Amino acid sequence: MKVEVSNLKKYFGSTRAVDDVSFSFASGQVVGFVGPNGAGKTTTMRILATLDEPTAGQATIDGVSVIEDPERARQLVGYVPDSLPTHRDISVHEYLDFFARAYGLKSLKRRQTVDSVEEFTNLSGIRDKMLVALSKGMKQRVTLARALLHDPPVLIMDEPAAGLDPRARIELRELLRVLSGQGKAILISSHILTELAEICHGAVIIEHGKILMAGGIGDLLSDSVPRRTVLIRVLGRQEELHRELLQTPHIESARLNGEEVAAEVSGTDEACAELLAAVIARGYRVVEFKQQRANLEEIFMNVTKGVVQ
Amino acid sequence: MTAEAELSNSTQPKVRLAERFDDWLNPVVIKELRQAVQSRFVITALLVLLAIQIIAVAIYLITATDISFSYDAGRTVFMILFGIMLAIGMLFVPLYSGVRLAAERSETNLDLLFITTIKPRSIIVGKMLAAVVLTVLIFSACLPFLTFTYFLRGIDLPSMAVVLAIGFVSVTLSAQIMIFVACLPVGRAFKLILGLIAFVLLVIGYISTMASAGGMLWEGIGSKVGSANFWQWVGIIGLNYVFQLGLLLVLSIALIKPISANRALPVRLYLTVIWVIGGLVALLGSWVEATHDPVIYWQASFNVLFAFSIFTSVGERDWPGARVLRALPESDGKRLLRFFFTSGSANGLAWTVMMIVATYDVCWIWWRLFPNFSDLGELVDSTRWLTVMNLYLFCYALTAAFLRRHLLKRIPPNLTWLIAIVLTAIGSTIPMLIGMLIFMNDLNWWREDYGLWLVGNPFVWDVAAHRNLYLSIGSFWAVLAIAFNLQWFLERIRGFRFIDPTDRLSVGELE
Repeated sequence: MKVEVSNLKKYFGSTRAVDDVSFSFASGQVVGFVGPNGAGKTTTMRILATLDEPTAGQATIDGVSVIEDPERARQLVGYVPDSLPTHRDISVHEYLDFFARAYGLKSLKRRQTVDSVEEFTNLSGIRDKMLVALSKGMKQRVTLARALLHDPPVLIMDEPAAGLDPRARIELRELLRVLSGQGKAILISSHILTELAEICHGAVIIEHGKILMAGGIGDLLSDSVPRRTVLIRVLGRQEELHRELLQTPHIESARLNGEEVAAEVSGTDEACAELLAAVIARGYRVVEFKQQRANLEEIFMNVTKGVVQ
Repeated sequence: MTAEAELSNSTQPKVRLAERFDDWLNPVVIKELRQAVQSRFVITALLVLLAIQIIAVAIYLITATDISFSYDAGRTVFMILFGIMLAIGMLFVPLYSGVRLAAERSETNLDLLFITTIKPRSIIVGKMLAAVVLTVLIFSACLPFLTFTYFLRGIDLPSMAVVLAIGFVSVTLSAQIMIFVACLPVGRAFKLILGLIAFVLLVIGYISTMASAGGMLWEGIGSKVGSANFWQWVGIIGLNYVFQLGLLLVLSIALIKPISANRALPVRLYLTVIWVIGGLVALLGSWVEATHDPVIYWQASFNVLFAFSIFTSVGERDWPGARVLRALPESDGKRLLRFFFTSGSANGLAWTVMMIVATYDVCWIWWRLFPNFSDLGELVDSTRWLTVMNLYLFCYALTAAFLRRHLLKRIPPNLTWLIAIVLTAIGSTIPMLIGMLIFMNDLNWWREDYGLWLVGNPFVWDVAAHRNLYLSIGSFWAVLAIAFNLQWFLERIRGFRFIDPTDRLSVGELE
């Protein structure tokens, strides 16, 4: 199972909402779709969910084109939009039963599916509660449950964590981990980048309709930040180490923070390993040597300009 | 086999049948009815209705002094109860259905349905069926009170049935009008204004339904039920009801379909089919009764519909879109036919012009074939009047499309109809106002030349002295408008071809 987006374009008049976007991801992968407001995330996701038609380009799910064969593609996609259900006078169970019917599930199979999805999303206890009476977190779970009713191999989730409290966010993160473990391919957009970094295998950073960066989280971190910050704590001789580091090749800068020396190392993990070996060889008693990793937020800030269309 | 197993075996086919029936039901109807029975609004409305009915009957029975001698008591009480029921039905059911759909018609809620296997048709039909079930529920709740009036004398069962049928027709039509309004893709404020307009229409509809039902009841329906004339009218009204309900239904379905779909197909197909059926019925009626009246009614109704179609067509998307083009037949003949039934500005205009010309031709042939039928003058006059009206509206629409493409590029294509309306308003009023300012005190101008200054107004055919001028100017303008838009139109025809997936980039350029 592979989701492939190639040279996707969507123009609204002279506005290029999505401009030649290409990326792909596979079963079991969670991919973060990151970008400022108006970057083209929702438009791309709506195209993948068969709700919009691109101006040009192609998007396929397991080889099925969402453009040429939307009916078949719909069977493969579960879509979680950025808004919560607003239906009045309907309980959680009735709401899910309605969508199970809408997906064409029949009698016993429908009942079993709704029950199991309720159980998976931890909704069994509140299945008879009215939808409008639910908290945002509960509603988000209902939305996720609705998207899972037809057991799609691909989930497209547009800002699912928006407005959720920390507990609900953690619960959602756990559900996504389980779903990814079940082999579902998940494309998720969110503004809460620290959370994305924790669950995502890869990320696509988009701005002004164009992809700025895409790849595995590890690759992105190394690609976007060519320098690494290494924190070294030694027993005594900190000032001496600081001076020595300033004269060492691959070290761009170094500063003394109390008992710790922070060094900016240019190069790969190899350079860091060599630095550690050199520090030990010079007789320093190393207590701690750690690499301070850049996070997704930092990458995002580095590569985007905050341009909104 | 145990007793329990035997019991389960004997009930299994019934269970299976019930399950099969449950599976077969439209999911939207089930959801709507589940929501309705849990809605405080619905329960309160039903209880209020029953309470009012009981109070009304009680007050009448207590206060009416001559009830033992009156032969109108049943009829009077029936009309009171029917009025209450109709008021609740015509206001509550449409508002309930419309407001609920409008609230749910946030883009995302409907989107969620579009990515299931459910069709837009099922959504609207489901909403409508739910409204019908609610109507039946209200009518059933009132039926014991209404039947009670039979024992008060002055009303017979056929009259009751006919009046109830009229009420049912009015309520369901009102519900469909509100569903249509709820489907319109406009902002909340504009939708509220449209809702208020629709509400005023419902009140007018209520008053006219009450007036016609009361009039019929007092004239006596029971005695007429056996006559052919009665059933002829029932047929005409029934056909009109079905046509109007169907039209609102297909329009609502088209409105909620995704923009990439061929939204125009069901609407134009439906209009073409009812144009044919309605035309055949009108011609048959005209031939049987030796009068042109039915043909006048038919052509007038459709010309008015085509007038709306001209303006909505110019506001359609400029190109049908890749999804529609990919579904086109490869054969030239089939594709030509499909051109008229595909979403798109050029396609819509082509279909509308074809239908207007066909309507005029049918009328022309009919009045040439049967010059001795009554109302010949009215047929000729009304057909020419409405055709010239549509000629002018066509000119305004094409001019608006041209202006939007070349001078008002910032206005999106879906607002071309608005430019056309503004142009029509300017063309209809400004020349006349200028004439008034220049010749205000000239009596001769008011007597003879005043009609000249109405030349841009599409609705002035009745000023008989200047008809040639109206027709000449309209025709000349139409030729100019067609010439200016010809290249655009030909490009749309050339681009209306089957495309395969490898041809996607060119589709992008077209969009």
